[in-house]
Amino acid sequence: MINIEDLYAGLNLLFSDLSLWLIVIPGILIGLIFGAIPGLQISMAMAIFLPLTLYMDFMQAMLFLTAIFTGGGFGGSIPAILMNIPGTSSSIATTFDGYPMSRSGKHNIALGIGLAASCIGVIIGYTLLLLLIGPISEMVLKLGPAEMAAIILWGITLISSLSGVNVNKGIISGFIGLLVGTVGFSEAGVTRGTLGSVYLLDGIPAIPAMMGMFAASELFKLVNTKYLVTDESLRKVSVKEILAGFKMAFTYPWVLIRGSFIGVFVGAVPGVGSSVANLLSYIQTKRKDKNPESFGKGNPAGVVASEAANSTSEAGSMATLLALGIPGGGATAVMLAAFAMHNITGGPQFIREQTDVVYAIVFANFGQAFLLIILGLMFIPILANVVKVPMNYLVPSVLSLSVFGAFGLTGDLTGPITVMVFALIGWLFKRFDYSVPAAVIGLLLGGMAEESLIYSYQISGGLWSYILERPVTMFILVLLVFSLFGSKLVAMLTRKVAT
Amino acid sequence: MKNNISKHKLADFFVLACLFLLVCWYAYDAYSASNHISNLILIVPVTIIVLVLCSIEFIRMFTVYEETAQDPVSTVLPVILLFVGYVLTLKWLGFDVGTFLFLALFLWIHGERRKVWVIGYSLVFATLISLFFSGMLPYPMPMLVLSTAY
Repeated sequence: MINIEDLYAGLNLLFSDLSLWLIVIPGILIGLIFGAIPGLQISMAMAIFLPLTLYMDFMQAMLFLTAIFTGGGFGGSIPAILMNIPGTSSSIATTFDGYPMSRSGKHNIALGIGLAASCIGVIIGYTLLLLLIGPISEMVLKLGPAEMAAIILWGITLISSLSGVNVNKGIISGFIGLLVGTVGFSEAGVTRGTLGSVYLLDGIPAIPAMMGMFAASELFKLVNTKYLVTDESLRKVSVKEILAGFKMAFTYPWVLIRGSFIGVFVGAVPGVGSSVANLLSYIQTKRKDKNPESFGKGNPAGVVASEAANSTSEAGSMATLLALGIPGGGATAVMLAAFAMHNITGGPQFIREQTDVVYAIVFANFGQAFLLIILGLMFIPILANVVKVPMNYLVPSVLSLSVFGAFGLTGDLTGPITVMVFALIGWLFKRFDYSVPAAVIGLLLGGMAEESLIYSYQISGGLWSYILERPVTMFILVLLVFSLFGSKLVAMLTRKVAT
Repeated sequence: MKNNISKHKLADFFVLACLFLLVCWYAYDAYSASNHISNLILIVPVTIIVLVLCSIEFIRMFTVYEETAQDPVSTVLPVILLFVGYVLTLKWLGFDVGTFLFLALFLWIHGERRKVWVIGYSLVFATLISLFFSGMLPYPMPMLVLSTAY
C-alpha cells in the first residue's frame, strides 16, 4: 500500500532543507491564536495569510497552511473549555464536558487532555491517511445523499435524546433547530421565514447563533457568580496538572482510537467534516460508557472523544482534497486556492504522480503534532489564568468579544444581533430544560439535511423503495430507531424474561 | 414558594406555546412560498413531529410536571437588558464607545465602585479589542471615535 521509494523521496523533500520548518512555528501560533479567539475561524486565518504563500514554494506553503490548520484545531478547544464558547464549530462537543471540568476547578487537566487528544488525533489521523488514502477516497464517492440525510437525522436524534433531562424537549429542540437551519432561500428558489428581511436570505448565521446559544446564555447564568471556579484553592494555574491531564488522555486509548477513526472517515465527507465528527465521536463514547450519566458533568472521556475526532478530521478532509481535489470545508477550500496559486491540481493524478509530496505533507503533520505539544504547553498556562479573573470583569468582556467575533463572521450587524437573539433563546432553553446543544446542531445541519433529502428525492424519482436499495441508509435508519427506542425495548424484554 | 412554582410552570407553558406557534407559522410561511415538494420535503415531516411532541409535552405539563430550581429572573434581567441595549445601539455608538459604555455600566451595576478600574479597564479593553478587530477584519467596523478604516 505504501511505496517505499516515494516515502523516502518524501522524507528527503522534507528534511533536505530545514529552513522549510521555520515557517511551521509561526503557522501553529497563528492557528492557536485564531482558534482561541471566538469568531476568528481557522479558515479566516488561512485566507488572511494565504497571500504570503505566494512567496513560498509549494511544499513550504503546504507546511505553513497545515500548521495553521493543526494549531487552530486545538486552539478552538481553549475557549470551549474555559468559557463554554466553541472557538470553532468543531469544538462544540468539547464544551459539553470541558466546561463543567473548568467550573469544578479541573481546567488545567481539561486543557492538558484537550492538547494530548488533539496531538494524538493528528498523528493517528495522518497515519490512517498514509495507509488508507485510496480506500477513503473510494468510500467518499460511494456515500450518496440518502446516506448523508440518514446520518444527519441519526446524529440529531441521538444528540437530542442524550443531551438533556427531558428527552421529549431534547428532540423538540433538535428538530426546531433543523427547521431554523432551513430559513432563507430554498433549493426551490423561494424564501422561507425571513419576515421580508434581506439579512436572512442566506439563512441564520450559524456560528453567531451558536455563540449566542452556548456562550452568552451561559454567561447570563453566571452573572451572580464571583469566579468561574468558586473554590479559591482550585483556581490555580498548574503546569503539573496540565501535564497530568496530558497523561490522562492516554488512559482512554479506545476513546482516542474510536474518535480518530470517526474523525478521519467523517472528516473525509465533503461539507460534513469536523463539525459533525466531534459530535458523533462524543455520542458514541457516551453510549459505550458504563456511566453515561456522568457525561455533560465533566467526564474527561468526553473531551478526549471530541478533540480526537476534530483533529483527525483534518486528515480526513486532506484525504478528500488530495485524492479527489474536493475541499471538505472552509480550511481545505483555502488550501485548494493555494494549490491553484502554485499551479497544482489535486486529484487521482496528483496522488499518482506526486506521491512523494503527499507523503511529505503527511510526515510534516507528524512533526507539527510534536511542535504543537511544545507550543501548546507554553501557551496554555497563559490562557488558563482566565479562571482567576472575577466574573464581573469576565462576563462583559467575553460578551463583547463574542459580539466582535460575530461581526467578524458576518461583516455587518447581523452577526451581533444574531448573538443577542440566540443568547435570549439559549437562556430560555436552559431555564426550561430544552437542549441547547441539540438546537445548535440542528441549526448547523438543517440546510444540509434538506439538501440531501432533495437530492435523494430527485435521484429516486420520488419512489420510497429507493431506500430499500441502499443498505447503508437502511442500516443507519435501523440504528436511528434503535437509539430512540432500543433501551426501552431491552428494558421491556428483560422485564418480561424476569417475570 | 408555591407562587414561584406556578409562575415557573406558567412561563414554561408560555415558552412551549410560543415554540408550537412558531413552528406552525414557519410551516405556513414555507407552504405559502411554494408547495413544491422540494420546498417542503424536510419542513413538513419535521413540523408534524415537533407538533406531536409539543402536544405530548402540553399533556405532561398538566400531569407529571417536574419543577427545577432556578435563579430569580430579576437578577439576570438587568444584564440581559444592558446586553440588548449594547447590541442595538452599536450602529450609532460604534464598537468603540458602545463597548466602553457596556463594560463600564456592567461593572458599575455589579458592584465595582473604584472609578479608576471602571473607567480604566473599560477604556483599555474597548480600545484594544476595537483596534485588534478593525485591524484584522477585511471590512470597516462602525466606530464613533476610532478610525473605521482597516
